[in-house]
Amino acid sequence: MRSSSLVTVALASALTAGVASAQAPSKIPLESYTLPNGLKVVLAEDHSSQVVAVNVWYDVGSRNEQPGRTGFAHLFEHMMFQGSENVKKGEHMQLIERAGGNMNGSTWDDRTNYFQVLPSNRLNLGLWLEADRMRSLAVTDSNFHNQRETVKEERRLRVDNQPYAGALRTGIFLPFDSTTCFAYAHEGIGSMADLDAATTEDVRKFFELYYTPNNATLTVVGDFNPAEAKALIQRYFGDIPRGQTPPPVQCRQPFNTGLVRRTVQDAKANLPAVFQFYRIPEYRHEDMPAVELLATILGQGESSRLNRVLARDTKAAVAAQAIANPSGGHRGGPGVFFALAIANQGVGADSIDVLLSQQIARLATEGVTDEELQKARNAYRSSTIRERQRALSLAEAIQQANMYFGTPEAINSDLERYMRVTRDDIRRVASTYLRPENAVILRVVPAGVTQ
Amino acid sequence: MISANRTLMHRPNLVTAVALAIMLPPLVPAAAQYPTEPPAAAPVKPAQFPPFQEARLSNGLRVVLVESRRHPVLSLSLAFPAGDAYDPKGKEGLASLLAQLLTKGAGSRSAEEIAAAIEGVGGSIEAGTSSDFLTVRADLLSSDAPLGFELLGDVVARPTFPDKEVELARTQALSGLQFELSQPASLASRFFAGSLYGPHPYGRRPTPASVRAVARSDVARFHRERIVPTGAMLVVAGDISMAEVTRHAEKAFAGWKGGPAPVLASTVVPARSKTEILLVHRPGSVQSNIVVGNTTFLPANPQFYALTLANRVLGGGADSRLFMILREQKSWTYGAYSGFSRPRGIGAFQATAEVRTEVTDSALVELLSQMRRLGSSAVSAREMEAAKGALVGRFPLTIETADQVAAAVTNARLLGLPSDYLSTYRTKLAAVTSAQLQQSARAYIRPDAALIVVVGDGARLHESLARIAPVRIVNVQGDPMTVADLTPRAATLSIDLSRMVPRTDSLAVMVQGREFGYQKSMLAAAPSGGWLYTEDTRIGPIIEQHTEVVFDRTGAVTAVKQAGKMQGQQMNVDATYANGRVKGSGTTPTPQGMKSVSYDTTTVAGMIDDNAIQAILPALKWAPGAKHVMNVFQSGKGTAITMTAAVAGEEKVTVPAGEFDTYKVEVTGGEQPTTFYLTKDSPHRIMKVTIAGAPIEIVRVK
Repeated sequence: MRSSSLVTVALASALTAGVASAQAPSKIPLESYTLPNGLKVVLAEDHSSQVVAVNVWYDVGSRNEQPGRTGFAHLFEHMMFQGSENVKKGEHMQLIERAGGNMNGSTWDDRTNYFQVLPSNRLNLGLWLEADRMRSLAVTDSNFHNQRETVKEERRLRVDNQPYAGALRTGIFLPFDSTTCFAYAHEGIGSMADLDAATTEDVRKFFELYYTPNNATLTVVGDFNPAEAKALIQRYFGDIPRGQTPPPVQCRQPFNTGLVRRTVQDAKANLPAVFQFYRIPEYRHEDMPAVELLATILGQGESSRLNRVLARDTKAAVAAQAIANPSGGHRGGPGVFFALAIANQGVGADSIDVLLSQQIARLATEGVTDEELQKARNAYRSSTIRERQRALSLAEAIQQANMYFGTPEAINSDLERYMRVTRDDIRRVASTYLRPENAVILRVVPAGVTQ
Repeated sequence: MISANRTLMHRPNLVTAVALAIMLPPLVPAAAQYPTEPPAAAPVKPAQFPPFQEARLSNGLRVVLVESRRHPVLSLSLAFPAGDAYDPKGKEGLASLLAQLLTKGAGSRSAEEIAAAIEGVGGSIEAGTSSDFLTVRADLLSSDAPLGFELLGDVVARPTFPDKEVELARTQALSGLQFELSQPASLASRFFAGSLYGPHPYGRRPTPASVRAVARSDVARFHRERIVPTGAMLVVAGDISMAEVTRHAEKAFAGWKGGPAPVLASTVVPARSKTEILLVHRPGSVQSNIVVGNTTFLPANPQFYALTLANRVLGGGADSRLFMILREQKSWTYGAYSGFSRPRGIGAFQATAEVRTEVTDSALVELLSQMRRLGSSAVSAREMEAAKGALVGRFPLTIETADQVAAAVTNARLLGLPSDYLSTYRTKLAAVTSAQLQQSARAYIRPDAALIVVVGDGARLHESLARIAPVRIVNVQGDPMTVADLTPRAATLSIDLSRMVPRTDSLAVMVQGREFGYQKSMLAAAPSGGWLYTEDTRIGPIIEQHTEVVFDRTGAVTAVKQAGKMQGQQMNVDATYANGRVKGSGTTPTPQGMKSVSYDTTTVAGMIDDNAIQAILPALKWAPGAKHVMNVFQSGKGTAITMTAAVAGEEKVTVPAGEFDTYKVEVTGGEQPTTFYLTKDSPHRIMKVTIAGAPIEIVRVK
């Protein structure tokens, strides 16, 4: 059989690679300190190019939203580009563009980020633009109404108009009980009703509570002189007043609350699909490295189990994948393991569900091979090392280490957690978390078709 | 590396500042410290272009290494002068197919085994083409260098081209092409290149026929002749020494020889002395895609710097003139841009915009006027500063990582640019004066000798465009059309009523060889003396539709009713034809969502409804060379167009219902050209239907 020769070759190359790849990333030298107003600053100097990244994470995301007030974190991200006391509407982008740089922002469950990448002689511009909006954002009625419409339009395009997107959006919140863990039990883009009900005053309060120096971390990565950078940071951010401490996010969510099955209609989809969601622990939990490597073995890449068995060999699926925390990669609170398979022509949702469940059950009963584990470790190590080549992605990795472990220095030790994972760990986490009673299973059926 | 020429501005040191902030916050006015204007740029640092080394292997292959020990990573890139321009005439798409196939079986590995090997080390390998080059690229950790070189050696020197992979790559190329041909922006770009470069290889593009014409032996031959060490360049970036590179490369490329590749016959790029419009008629389009431009110069021309700035001022960014005027001021479009290509041969300048049909002429006049203004009046100091700021500032971002540096070096080498090109790029850009910019714009942005391509509804565009420049019209296949062809004319279709015989047809809808739906139709005599045609179509879960067309005893359409669903959305048509008018309404899908129209408008004699075409085709007279011009009303959209049904050849087709000799009848003039295969025997029956831009085939079951 073809697949046996494939396995042999995969084994051989993985073994060779396993020996050769025991390569550590270069240590990232960091300096961090906190201004009196609470702004945490992390500097990572690197003169290998003339590029600098200025990156701010606010410790606020959709997890901070309250019932009836969903969508605020994302709506606010839009507001941050509408001008401030000394920066006219649209001017932020124009100033960055004319400096040869680029910029953007994004909202995840746990945080909202803003960044600019600039030639290093324009560090001052990036810092000043971030400081100006932190100190004096223009929260006006007209900016707010205009951006609310933009967000609603974005929702229509991204969620309402894409095949399977609606089902994923629905499914990813179902594992969480909205009475004990509203934080992860609602949509980040918000409901239309909540967006419509929001007032400018609500938005202003949100800004005052979360967009404070004591709720933000500023990271500067790349080609700069630390003394100069510190002086600029002091000058631009130093006198922004400290705000209140935002209330902590509550989430109590037990595992294994019983299998939930749902069928959802998707008018945009042409083929049936199955989405399986399993509850998993928070990112810093000791089981998470094994869960993530398991996801790689099961469903990342052409030679993953799901692609080999479901798509290539049996041709039951046109696509099959698995990923931990599809909405951003990591979660400060409890997360979601997501496995999906989109059925091929003529294959029903129930058949593809059985095939997918079989592959997941095998992880606990049979475990994985040394070669598969080594391959997954290699992939993780490689992506970790490669993302550090660019100032912006390194800044993001530093912010992530800081947010989930409380210290940016974790960037220099986190990889070790993954390299220590054993086959027993994988088998153990598979039997702990990937159980039917811990799952939500969605059958996604093209609208208008009964199966 | 910290440059010494940066001066620290006077400001309190950190300790003092922190102390002040703690002790005296109310007494330190923010304005005294905090700037209310964007801070000025610090001086640009001297160019820091990482050094690179060059070598040559024993088989003649050139090697460039950008050594960087910062991260334990490696990127390998191998470029050949074997891009799309080297496709043999009639086999356009060959180089691109070859690139797809190199990693789909090589040495002792199958496609799956190559994927498993590279994924096993967390790396990637892929190949692709540009107009001049075919490039294979691998990225991995530096400790996996042996595997990286081994795979690279295998895919370029020992690809196996398994038959099933060739067919898979061809299917994917055809699907991609079908999609491309259905997009008006892609059509505009194809027609622009084709007309601008004429017979020159830069003007040729793959077509479904040319992709089908590529045989496995063509792929193998192209590989044998052109994927050779002579003329190629291996570029390595990252954590490795030149000694290691040569050792790995000599081993991986052992036994790989050959070259130089056959030289292409030189082709002249057509000269253009006056502006001309090529109008690509796409009936029913609500938007027009405009491309205006001209050929420019060879890559090493020193005018490059001035033209780069001119382009930035005109349309290179979101704060450039075209964007600000056409989008921000006039609201004619979502975006209007300009750009220029810099291939190994003669390059081209172009400005593009997608605009609403009714403002097409205004937008075009504005585009031309902005192109002219750049050559006739000086750019202000402010605009010069903004353009230089963006371009000079961006340069470091384009060479941030070792592999970006390597790509920049390769590109400069392959284009034959001077050796100091990258290290002097910023200084040369910064030195361009406003007068030089203007002079360069006058020479190379030529509104008075430009090619203009407009893809849109010709019937609505022709008259206004003809006031701007001479217009040549073609349909979306590129066949010439006259002005008269654009507007529906009174023409009586020669329907042979004796062939309107009751019948039932059952067809299957096939997608890539799988049955995906059906189409059942019936023509029956109506009690009133005419005919009733009913048709039920179902394409998987995508489309479900029921159509009824009523004909009177003369064969004229009197009513059309259609109801259906496309991707869950309701479609409807309800139209009545009487006394030289059509009244009704339609709801149909468009790329922007469902669109509803209602109409009450005049018809020309002999006008047929687009939903009646399939009912009428079998009743027309068919013979080799037969051609019928049809005035068609699209009752779903409320637009009138001219369509042509013509015999394009004779073909034996095999369908589930059997094997038949057929006329291949192409129906063109609509947005999606459709081919019907009709039996030669009368009464003609439809045996097979194919639709350009859709990966489906409708075949007769019984």
